Amino acid sequence: MLSLTLKEVSQAFREGRISPTELCKKCLNRIQRTQHLNAFITVTQELSLKQAQQSEIRLSQGVPKGPLDGIPFAVKDNFCTENVKTTCASRMLKDYTPPYNATVVQKLLDQGAVLMGKTNMDEFAMGAGSVDGTFGPVRNPWSYAAPYRAQTGASSDSDWVVSGGSSGGSAVAVASLTSYLALGSDTGGSTRNPGALCGVVALKPSYGLLSRHGLIPLVNSMDVPGIITRSVSDGATVLGVLQGLDIRDSTTVPAPSSLTDLPEDFDIRNICVGIPKEYHAPGLSEETVVQWSRVADLFERAGARVEQVSLPHTQYSIVCYHVLCNTEVASNMARFDGLEYGHRSTMDSSTEVMYASTRHEGFNDVVRSRILSGNYFLLKQNYDNYFVKAQKVRRLITDDFRRVFTSGVDVLLTPTTLTDAARYLDFTQEDNRTRSAQEDVFTQPANMAGLPAVSLPVALSRRGLPIGLQLIGPALEDKKLLCVAQWVEQRVAFPSISDCGDIQESRKDTGMTEREQTSAV
Amino acid sequence: GSIFIPILSCKGAGNGRCGTIDPAAVPADLVDKLERLALVDFRTKQGLACLEKAVRFAGQLHAVDTSGVEPMDSVLEDRALHLRGDAVTEGDCAEELLGLAERTVEEYFVAPPGMAEAAFMSSHQLPENHREE
Amino acid sequence: MAASCVVASELLQNTKQISMFFPKTSRFIRRISTSNLQCDKQHQLKTNSASQQLVGVVGLEIHAQINSNTKLFSGSPVRFSAPPNSLVSFLDASLPGTLPVLNRRCVEAAVMTGLALNCTINKKSLFDRKHYFYADLPAGYQITQQRRPIAVDGTLTYSFLSGKKRSQVIRKHVHVKQIQLEQDSGKSLHDDVRSQTLIDLNRAGVGLMELVMEPDMNCGEEAAAAVRELQLILQALGTCQGNMSEGQLRVDANVSVHRPGEPLGIRTEVKNLNSIRYLARAIDYEIQRQIGVVQRGETVQNETRAYDSKSGETVPMRDKEGLQDYRFMPEPNLPPLIVYEDDASLPSGIDPGQAVVVQEIKEGLPELPSVRRERLVQTYGLLPEHSFTLVNEDGLMEYFEEVMKGTRREPRKVIGWVTNELLGQLKQRDLSVSQSPISPAALAELLELQETGHISSSIAKQVYQEMWNSPGKTAAQTIQEQDLGLVSDVAQLHSICQKVVDSHPDEVCAIRSGNTKVLNKLMGLVQKETKGRADPVLVMDILKQKTS
Repeated sequence: MLSLTLKEVSQAFREGRISPTELCKKCLNRIQRTQHLNAFITVTQELSLKQAQQSEIRLSQGVPKGPLDGIPFAVKDNFCTENVKTTCASRMLKDYTPPYNATVVQKLLDQGAVLMGKTNMDEFAMGAGSVDGTFGPVRNPWSYAAPYRAQTGASSDSDWVVSGGSSGGSAVAVASLTSYLALGSDTGGSTRNPGALCGVVALKPSYGLLSRHGLIPLVNSMDVPGIITRSVSDGATVLGVLQGLDIRDSTTVPAPSSLTDLPEDFDIRNICVGIPKEYHAPGLSEETVVQWSRVADLFERAGARVEQVSLPHTQYSIVCYHVLCNTEVASNMARFDGLEYGHRSTMDSSTEVMYASTRHEGFNDVVRSRILSGNYFLLKQNYDNYFVKAQKVRRLITDDFRRVFTSGVDVLLTPTTLTDAARYLDFTQEDNRTRSAQEDVFTQPANMAGLPAVSLPVALSRRGLPIGLQLIGPALEDKKLLCVAQWVEQRVAFPSISDCGDIQESRKDTGMTEREQTSAV
Repeated sequence: GSIFIPILSCKGAGNGRCGTIDPAAVPADLVDKLERLALVDFRTKQGLACLEKAVRFAGQLHAVDTSGVEPMDSVLEDRALHLRGDAVTEGDCAEELLGLAERTVEEYFVAPPGMAEAAFMSSHQLPENHREE
Repeated sequence: MAASCVVASELLQNTKQISMFFPKTSRFIRRISTSNLQCDKQHQLKTNSASQQLVGVVGLEIHAQINSNTKLFSGSPVRFSAPPNSLVSFLDASLPGTLPVLNRRCVEAAVMTGLALNCTINKKSLFDRKHYFYADLPAGYQITQQRRPIAVDGTLTYSFLSGKKRSQVIRKHVHVKQIQLEQDSGKSLHDDVRSQTLIDLNRAGVGLMELVMEPDMNCGEEAAAAVRELQLILQALGTCQGNMSEGQLRVDANVSVHRPGEPLGIRTEVKNLNSIRYLARAIDYEIQRQIGVVQRGETVQNETRAYDSKSGETVPMRDKEGLQDYRFMPEPNLPPLIVYEDDASLPSGIDPGQAVVVQEIKEGLPELPSVRRERLVQTYGLLPEHSFTLVNEDGLMEYFEEVMKGTRREPRKVIGWVTNELLGQLKQRDLSVSQSPISPAALAELLELQETGHISSSIAKQVYQEMWNSPGKTAAQTIQEQDLGLVSDVAQLHSICQKVVDSHPDEVCAIRSGNTKVLNKLMGLVQKETKGRADPVLVMDILKQKTS
């Protein structure tokens, strides 16, 4: 039951094969048993059960609110949730309980979906491994599945792979079957990256299609709420619910179409697939190249046009991203001073001292160093050289995409990540910035240009870990993008984790972090 | 036939080795100024090294020819900003807001005494109406 | 610029004479007439040794709070007295995840103000973040318009009175560099006893228009007149209530000195100017101070100074030491603000109620102060200086026009009553026009009694005084109670005239021999006898008869 898609669960509800409360309890139980993955920062047990009961009443009366009624979902801990702690995995907001719901959260609740909890992440979404949050690293559930254990002979508890990030907790919640859908955020790949490494479908919609109101920002001009599901069709259902204008977010745009179900018989022969040559980057694993070629072949054999295309400024995209990201971070993080909310230092000889020590105590090194370099790029003497320069390069990158899409290409096919998931011990050898640059290299260009992109799992690597590929579409062509993604999904036959041997459960002596699992207030 | 995926070298993508223009050394007094402007404490060699690495990485941008290119703020640069009507829809939630603060006095948020450093916004020493906007 | 300087100095010299010989006159132009010392000295220095002498140069930065129901980017109310933090939205408190949504009213107010100041309205303007840490700036940045403000390149035309009897209206222009929309900050209350700062965010996020006036002014009086004119314009438009003491209009002055023809000197920024009077004094003080510095061979420091109204001096505030760097960056949550020229330029599909259309705002502009003055001159045949006083004094024009509705008396007669008698009494008692105990209708009644010959002009003044002493009593009541009505009983007047004629044979002789001017003397004697109550027309007739 837990490994079904949300469509299938919704059907099961209506047929009375299971009730929302039963399902909610199963998920809560599963969360308990997978605590070692450290996917959740807050589990909203009481609230979840209450919501499930309300859903159950509606279903029993035959008046469900829609396809998401009674469906358990998880939310990355950088979306505000009313009366439920929202920490951004930072000491700064460790005890922060927002007084309002993010628009996307509210929309899911309005549909009767059942909130299971808030998921773990890199602090303030700055990272690509979900290893840099104050609540400890997130573990990839495939580390404990049979293929990885069998292929690597791994046995020690320290041998596990990262979930990817920064929305690692959300990807893990969906991959480890504790939620049917999860919200992530995607600024440079933060939803697609963990989606690829955890073997789930991860959609970054077009910029502006989903409201950012209530999403604690990383880079306002690139942030997009991400949707993590087990199938492309589920992703489309959720997108249909979440998309559209929000008067609270001036950067939202009206949905180009009301997204109903994706066609089952999508004709791929009318589609032109572009293969950007620049995405063949150093460090790209051979196995990923093989999968990339395999799917390209699938397209071609089915009659789609497959073309090599060039996005000449791609190589500068990650550098450009680095500058724009840090500058916005420097600005966005200025509000955290301990005065109105969040952590407040007890050093209070002056306002300035209080602010500085609050920010020192509340932010980790990664956040502080991004603030520092972001401010450096914004200094009067550096502004043109770095910030404006990056904005110009951003236009060149965007123009590259525009040129390709106006030349007749419908979607671009690329890898999502360079390799499958790294071992935690290897991953943490490099500093956060270097890691982010490597991990986001294929994903952040879509954010620079505001394009929709989806990562979907296509195969398991020799190590028994998921490999994902990415499809990128033109702005606001999210539906067509998902149609193509579903077409691929139907042909690659990626295995469910539940078919790969059950996940090792949390042992009492290991896997637990120091922190207690908390429930909602 | 199998699609050929070209193997091209992409210098600069993530390895931080191409296009570097200058050594990106950041003078100590600038770090000091930055720390005070940003109110983050980074007075360590590590902090400086980290900043220099970030600056060096960013320096690769100088290899791109951007002459005649307009800077791009946002992908929505061609859309008109939505405007709302002038009707009261919010406010009147002092209790809720003050409840989020670690410290309050009566119905006020409360800060320690004014900025200690003369360097910080001296104009704020003025009566509230007249400080710099 | 050079030409206007000459005009200014000419006028300024005159002004000094005025204030010396007619010290009372200036009282009536309370808000404008301030120390003229600075301008005079400048002029004298300039004329005495040509261009070697230093003159002041003044630019202004003005923050005007927009008169709107809600804040610039949030739907919380704008009010001037409310319990602390009761007018604060989640955005105003900078809660993470909140986003700004622009208030159309604020945009319209800025466009309207821009049009009134002959600005070019930018069809596309942009918002930026300006970063600095301060306890009443919750987000750590202020949203403003640094790169591309909503309005640019306008002119403010202002006037002030000069010449003998301050009857010459001098008209000057100051270039308005730009008008930008931006957020106000909250308020900090410093509690020195408990060594803490209390923060009230009620004002945080209120819409401001920042108006930047180029350094086209030369002294405090000019700056004061420019600010007063701006205040009148904003109030006429309704875009800002303009009350300086409540902080709705805040002025900072950039002051420097130089020798004409040479580059501008190093400037100081003078803050803490919360009334027009202080503004003028502070600027004049600062110009003198800088001239002193330069004449001593020292250098003016680029610094921020505050005006201390008690000592009348400007004092340095602790300097920014070159550290401040606002690290501007584009506000990423607000796409470009677009306004449209006219309905025809609206893109298809846009809700017309949503769009800001410049042409519509232009058509709806109310009567501006300069037009008002012109209309007063045209309609009532007033002198320009009278129209100036009427418009510049809060509520005086409305008062005047109200009086005019109730009397047939000539406007030129009425204006004297309003600008001299009424305003004089009000100033003496430190009252505003709206606080006047004598309503326009009551004054009109009095003037009408005079017009219809019920009382003489001297009695009218007496009655007027009585009305001030016992407010609420009408002119008619006072006249009746004190028996002040004109004596028109012909028999009675005959007998009084006869008495006067009989006792002044020499005068009668003179009149009979052709010196009719002497009639006035006899008239005065009759009025003395009747305490000014005799109907002058009748008396004149009778005297003529008796002396013919």
